Amino acid sequence: MWRKAMGLTAALVFIGFGAVLVSLFRWQIVRGEEMSNAALDQSLRSTTLSAMRGSIYDATGKVLAQSASVWTVVLEPAYFDDYKERDPDTVRRTVASGLASILDMDEEEIYEKTQGNSYFVYLKRRVETSVRDQINEFLEKNEISSGVRLIEDYKRYYPYGTVASTVLGFTGTDGQGLEGLELQYDTELSGTAGRLISAQNAWGTDMPFEYEQYVEAEDGYNLVLTIDETVQSILEKYLAEGVEQFNVKNGAVAICMDVDTGAILGMAATPTYDPNDPFTIYDEGLQAEIDALSGDEQDEAFNAAQLKQWRNKAVTDTYYPGSVFKMVTYAMGLEEGVVTEDSTFTCTGGIMVEGYPEPISCWKHAPGHGLETFREGLYNSCNPWAIHIGQLLGGETFAKYREAFGFTESTGIDLPGEAVTLYHTESELINTPSDLAVESFGQNFSITPIHMITAAAAIANGGNLVTPHVMDRIVDQNGNIVKTADTSYRRQVVSQETCDVIIDILRQNVEEGTATGGYVAGYRVCGKTGTSEKVAQHNEDPSKPMEYIASFCGFAPAEDPKYALLVFFDEPDDDTNGGYNGGNAVAGPYFAKMMEEILPYLGVEAQYSEEEYAALDTIAPNVTGLTLEEAYAELEEAGLSYYVVGDESDGSIEVTAQVPQSGGAVPKDGKVVLYTNGYDEDSTYVEVPSFIGFDVTNASYLASINQLQISVSGSSSETAEVTGQSVQPGEKVQIGTVISLSFVDNTNAETGATVETE
Amino acid sequence: MAAAGRTARGLRRVPGTAAPQAPRTRQEPREERRRRRPVQYKLFSLGAGLDMPLLIFILVLLAIGLVMLFSASYAYSYFHYGNSYFFISRQAVFAVAGVIAMLVISTFDYHRFHQLAIVIFGISVFLLVFLLICRYAHIESIARPEGTATRWLDFGFVSFQPSEIAKFALIVMFAHMISQNLEKMGTFRYGVVPYVGILALFAALIYLEDHLSATLIILALGAILMFVGGTKPKWFILGIILLAAGLTAILMVKGGYQVSRIMVWLDPFSSELDPDLTHQTRQSLYAIGSGGLLGVGLGQSRQKYLYLPEPQNDFIFAVVCEELGMVGALVIIVLFAMLIWRGVYISVHAKDKFGMLLGLGITFQVGLQTVLNICVVTNTIPNTGISLPFFSYGGTALLMLLGQMGILLNISRSANVEKT
Repeated sequence: MWRKAMGLTAALVFIGFGAVLVSLFRWQIVRGEEMSNAALDQSLRSTTLSAMRGSIYDATGKVLAQSASVWTVVLEPAYFDDYKERDPDTVRRTVASGLASILDMDEEEIYEKTQGNSYFVYLKRRVETSVRDQINEFLEKNEISSGVRLIEDYKRYYPYGTVASTVLGFTGTDGQGLEGLELQYDTELSGTAGRLISAQNAWGTDMPFEYEQYVEAEDGYNLVLTIDETVQSILEKYLAEGVEQFNVKNGAVAICMDVDTGAILGMAATPTYDPNDPFTIYDEGLQAEIDALSGDEQDEAFNAAQLKQWRNKAVTDTYYPGSVFKMVTYAMGLEEGVVTEDSTFTCTGGIMVEGYPEPISCWKHAPGHGLETFREGLYNSCNPWAIHIGQLLGGETFAKYREAFGFTESTGIDLPGEAVTLYHTESELINTPSDLAVESFGQNFSITPIHMITAAAAIANGGNLVTPHVMDRIVDQNGNIVKTADTSYRRQVVSQETCDVIIDILRQNVEEGTATGGYVAGYRVCGKTGTSEKVAQHNEDPSKPMEYIASFCGFAPAEDPKYALLVFFDEPDDDTNGGYNGGNAVAGPYFAKMMEEILPYLGVEAQYSEEEYAALDTIAPNVTGLTLEEAYAELEEAGLSYYVVGDESDGSIEVTAQVPQSGGAVPKDGKVVLYTNGYDEDSTYVEVPSFIGFDVTNASYLASINQLQISVSGSSSETAEVTGQSVQPGEKVQIGTVISLSFVDNTNAETGATVETE
Repeated sequence: MAAAGRTARGLRRVPGTAAPQAPRTRQEPREERRRRRPVQYKLFSLGAGLDMPLLIFILVLLAIGLVMLFSASYAYSYFHYGNSYFFISRQAVFAVAGVIAMLVISTFDYHRFHQLAIVIFGISVFLLVFLLICRYAHIESIARPEGTATRWLDFGFVSFQPSEIAKFALIVMFAHMISQNLEKMGTFRYGVVPYVGILALFAALIYLEDHLSATLIILALGAILMFVGGTKPKWFILGIILLAAGLTAILMVKGGYQVSRIMVWLDPFSSELDPDLTHQTRQSLYAIGSGGLLGVGLGQSRQKYLYLPEPQNDFIFAVVCEELGMVGALVIIVLFAMLIWRGVYISVHAKDKFGMLLGLGITFQVGLQTVLNICVVTNTIPNTGISLPFFSYGGTALLMLLGQMGILLNISRSANVEKT
């Protein structure tokens, strides 16, 4: 009997508890974590604590983008039932009417939302702190302790509005970066959201003991850019001016780069927008077009317009670099030794290329440029010379250098959406001579503006390819540097010697060649024009006239190039410019204007020639409020003459106004018009004439007969003509007003190069 | 005593190993004599002859059980009664009363149960029938329904499950009958029929309460005692076949509820099953899993915060697993195993067959309940309502358990075992 008993016991203990052990092992060890997580999931209520998004600063510490606290109003309907002493429904009503008036919402709608058993119903997002204070005050006054919750959130502000918007991008409703740098550095900027975890029992109320875990939100890192707000604003100001002047149809780009580091100091693109409200269309004409549509078409047009204004054309759009590219071809030729500075070639206005039925023509048609040296070939922007170099190099070598200059890969710029370049393959270049020929002068080969300026910077800095970048460093909230931009050279592409030659030719090019539009008094500027034909677009619809991209790429100062600048206008309207669509006439003057302001700002000292010094403007002193006698003395001291409008009978009469205003620019030998009293208001206004097409002498004469003054910028050559004026013709201004005129020497300026479209 | 014990043990081993008939004539008068000799127990000598290991296991398990009951129940207690001490204070009172009762009963000669057996049996049957009458007469103040089942009799001042009494009655009755008819246990007429009759009566009455788990436990207890008593194995094979057929029939006829339990058992996380059905098992496994190897710490269970239904009752072991981890659970399982081993050890060394069967019955009842409860909690077997001895809340149940432990201790007083 005891054996049976023992046997049964053993069976019970071993089988029973053995099975239990297996189960325990299975559920506690093998699937323990899974069970544990599931248990936690059902019992933990987690509230996300937003992390403050990092700020974006420009190179000088100006805040370009910043987040500030806003509040999300949330209802917790389930808690209203806790108001047992008061009637829960009365409380709901009170809350609804109170919040409705504070938040300017519909009372019934809020009341609806206070119903139910939920613990989280969004009421309104992004409420300013002042509104939150009102809500808190209201809740306190009505002794409402639960049911309404305010959660901190952040809103993005861009203090400079449209400035650098295409680079900065913007954020979405949840604070996530959607475009530009906000997207590129989203992870770094956004930080890590925190969590407040509290345990709740199965009835949804907090457990009676403390179980709270608070994971603090880690604020995002700050971004310090290489972009300088001042440079950026200069670029944007003139770019917008140019777009308006030339009625540019397809946007424009200006990029300013430090040639040694690849740091982008400014990157402007049009159209633009205000990232504080990115969804509005800022192009009024476009908005009007959209308004005229309806239904799906309207939506489509609206979306397209949004995308267009958000685009950073400087990196997302490709174009044919055109003649600007010749500086690269010439550098290749020199580096490879297939040509020397003394080599010559005869341009007959066109060149026959194997496998192509017609001659590929130079912009200067037959008889062409004639016999040219290497130097003349570049500053004449001669197409056959470039083709000649390409042929001497051969497809293989050309492809090698093209790759070395970075045209076949991403530039590595830290901005989203960099377009992929399009080019003929090496074997195409070898087997199809015409492909090689056209690429030699920058046609039928698509790159982005950032590719072009990076290659130009390589020539400017002595042959080193840099990585363009807009982020200088990432710093945490305590100012510790987390990451810095890599400013090392990607590779040496061509030698310093080669670069020195090209730099000198490009300097000469601006002074007397085909790029005189880029002339900047006081600075020795290097530049190359480009006028690319939009061949593909033209081929699609040959009934429309050929469109161009007018570009100008250069750097300064020539003695030690520091800053490169690329300006391009996509589809300028040549009717606005006396038929001149070329890079020199259209982009050149704006290149000059930008450089003129950027270089002194960046601390590049001006060195004027005597001639230049004489043409310099001075600053009009403040003579308003003085007596005439005092004013005369002051102006004479400043080397200026004067002209009085009104009563000048007595030297003690007070000057009531002056033109130009105090601090305004006035030509060195110019006049300041002094207004006293007793003059006919109307007679002091004159209509501004059109100066376009006049040379300096004639422009001065025209100004004087209109009682106006001119300030000259751009080319100082005898043959230079006015291509732009600071005040539009027909506008009325006070006499003595200084009109700034842009002079461009177009006698030697290429027009749209012609290939395959004769 | 030790020297005598060794001698007696040596003698007693003979009938077990040699042919049973031969020494019986010599053995019986000796047992008779012992029985007739009055045992001089005095209140102050409570400890005399008590099996200390068994007593220690009982008290340790009881202490741990109380601590765990407090930990497991206080949240539930707080939310349902507004008082965290509702369960533990009651249980503590019963535990103290129970320990006293146990010690007193340990001085009560178990042979008196020969005479009491029929009485207890009668009371038990009466109570079972009474419960059923009340149930079908819908007297819910007395026959408290819980879900589909009605297991509790509530007389206001005391409430208990008649099935618990039935288990004890069965043990006493069977121990009495078998020890009286040892030599005829091999026959169908004396070894099978009366027991099957009693078992069938109990099983039927308890099954009518819709209390399947108690029905199965009582059948198992009866079978164990019959098996040890000498009923031929073939009858058990037949019994198991009949039982299997019966269970299948139940599943077929009453289907739904029991089938769903099996479905839950097979996949407690199934998304196809009604979440209400899987809730208990799921929450139990969450608790067990949360404990991991070393547990979340005593008092730190999160699952007891209203997630685990009735954490103070059938699922208290889930809280043990969560708070003390696998290691803690194993310690408690080992303690139970040692208690069972000691109970069985004492029983087989009991002075006589009645003591042996009585002790085995009591020990196996505790053992079965423990194993089955832990199996349910760990989803080793389908969910069914079985409480965990020494741990689960229930005053009268604890009182009865400790009373039965008292009987076991009393058996140990006269058993031939080392008691220190």
